[in-house]
Amino acid sequence: MHYQVESAAAAWSYLMRVRSMEEDQMERVLRLASQSAVVIFSVSSCCMCHAMKRLFCGMGVNPTVHELDQDPKGKDMERALMRLLGNGINSTAAVVPVVFIGGKLVGSMDRVLAFHISGTLVPLLKQAGALWL
Amino acid sequence: MGSQRIGETGLSESGPSSHHVPYGVLHGINTSSSGLMNQGSAFDFGELEEAIVLQGIKIRNDEAKASALFTGRPSATLEMFPSWPMRFQQTSRGGSKSGGESTDSGSGINTLSSKAELQFETDSPISIKASSSDHQQAFDQLQQQQETATDASRAGTSQNQSAAKSPQEKKKGAASTSEKPLDAKTLRRLAQNREAARKSRLRKKAYVQQLESSRLKLTHLEQDLQRARSQGVFMGCGGAGGSVSSGAAMFDMEYARWLEDDHRHMAELRTGLQAALSDGELRVIVDGYLSHYDEVFRLKGMAAKTDVFHLINGMWTSPAERCFLWIGGFRPSELITMLIQQLEPLAEQQIMGIYGLRHSSLQAEEALTQGLEQLQQSLVDTIAATSVADGVQQMVAAMAKLANLEGFVGQADNLRQQTLHQLCRLLTVRQAARCFLVIGEYYGRLRALSSLWASRPRESLMSDDNSCQTTTELQMVQPSQNHFSNF
Repeated sequence: MHYQVESAAAAWSYLMRVRSMEEDQMERVLRLASQSAVVIFSVSSCCMCHAMKRLFCGMGVNPTVHELDQDPKGKDMERALMRLLGNGINSTAAVVPVVFIGGKLVGSMDRVLAFHISGTLVPLLKQAGALWL
Repeated sequence: MGSQRIGETGLSESGPSSHHVPYGVLHGINTSSSGLMNQGSAFDFGELEEAIVLQGIKIRNDEAKASALFTGRPSATLEMFPSWPMRFQQTSRGGSKSGGESTDSGSGINTLSSKAELQFETDSPISIKASSSDHQQAFDQLQQQQETATDASRAGTSQNQSAAKSPQEKKKGAASTSEKPLDAKTLRRLAQNREAARKSRLRKKAYVQQLESSRLKLTHLEQDLQRARSQGVFMGCGGAGGSVSSGAAMFDMEYARWLEDDHRHMAELRTGLQAALSDGELRVIVDGYLSHYDEVFRLKGMAAKTDVFHLINGMWTSPAERCFLWIGGFRPSELITMLIQQLEPLAEQQIMGIYGLRHSSLQAEEALTQGLEQLQQSLVDTIAATSVADGVQQMVAAMAKLANLEGFVGQADNLRQQTLHQLCRLLTVRQAARCFLVIGEYYGRLRALSSLWASRPRESLMSDDNSCQTTTELQMVQPSQNHFSNF
């Protein structure tokens, strides 16, 4: 698994940096989500996020992890994720971990587990190119 | 389960989950009461019991009038249900839970028309009126009548006012909505009151249950003590103390009720399989069993909010089940492994599906276990940190970490629930029915094993390892002799 921290991407031109700071965090989240086959938005101290990462690694998937607490725009991204997940989440419940597969939102841990048990997660991963036989 | 005696107004079943309607009065309205029960928390046995008690007394007191009033009206007995929007006026009834004696000072039957009510009020035992802005005029009339009433009514009124709020408010709310279509606020208030009443009844029941189980435990301990004394062996306390928190006690009670339901479902499954029902009928039974399991996961979810430790340490299960506990419940992969052997013969595709299910479950279990381990590690780090200047802050941080436990128990239960559903999808109806029977019997045997183990005869000290705590010194004699022989 490799970590991608936006601020460490110094190779980007200054123009790109400015643009990314101005763009809506929602767009940014979606853009990040489509850059890899499996993208996990997480918080480094969150244990459920740790479980999520272990789940995918255990399946042989190499997910891209974005740690929101290590990102300067982390709070906004978290809010964007909350909007994406829809309401029904009370403010005290953690938003992360949130998983995107093939650029599409899968959801939180309970959705991932439901997909995995029903046998639809693996085909989804193969379709996104995250898993090979 | 649950008191069905007319005389008791204190104990009552929560409406939706009770199946008994034993009152003779209700025979005429059995169908409608089941319809009422389907409405969820709208139906309230507490109200019913009170109303019936009061009606019984009232009928005795004033038989002729009662019969005269109740003729010519459709389903007269329904009037005693306060939550239902009746087209005619309702009065609140007296008799809060605090006093059965208040029934004498107040009759609580919903009367029919204001006129009849006026008549009723003057001649029959005093009834207590709830004031309602919607019916000011009618009530003013009644108030005039009431002012000429005896002190008992006033005493009854004050008693009523000081009585438990929720039934009172419920009646008020009901009275105010009897003639107008329910507005959202009232509906919500009604529903909240019902919920609050139901919760407090459950709590009370849990407390009573706790008391009774402690009493039983006490008698058992005394018996054990006597038996042990007669055998010349002094036994310490065997079983640990029961759950202490009210949330835990409530969950234990609900779980006990779920277990009884489980027996019923299993019996249904058995007879269904033996009677060779059609697939469609069997499917209904199997689906019923699935939602029965959904129910226990829902209960556990609620219990996790109040007392997650109780779920995780497994004090709600039997000791043998506790042995195999994984994050507050059974381990799905273990269950599947057990089932694979019991469910033969299976089709090729089914076998592959079930092995795939076990594989996925194992991966998920591994992930959750590792997540929980990280939680434990971080908790240890937080609590053990010595350099923290503020102890309170340390505790606050630790509490925040502990809050994650609820999430893990929730995900573990989610995994169990998904596994059961997927199993049902993979199997045919008959196989699914047999599968549930196997699961139910398996856990039943584990529970039986637990109680057998707990009540096994404790012979001499030396022969078996028992739970005697006070005899450790005697126990240590033998091994320590071996020790000392070395010195």
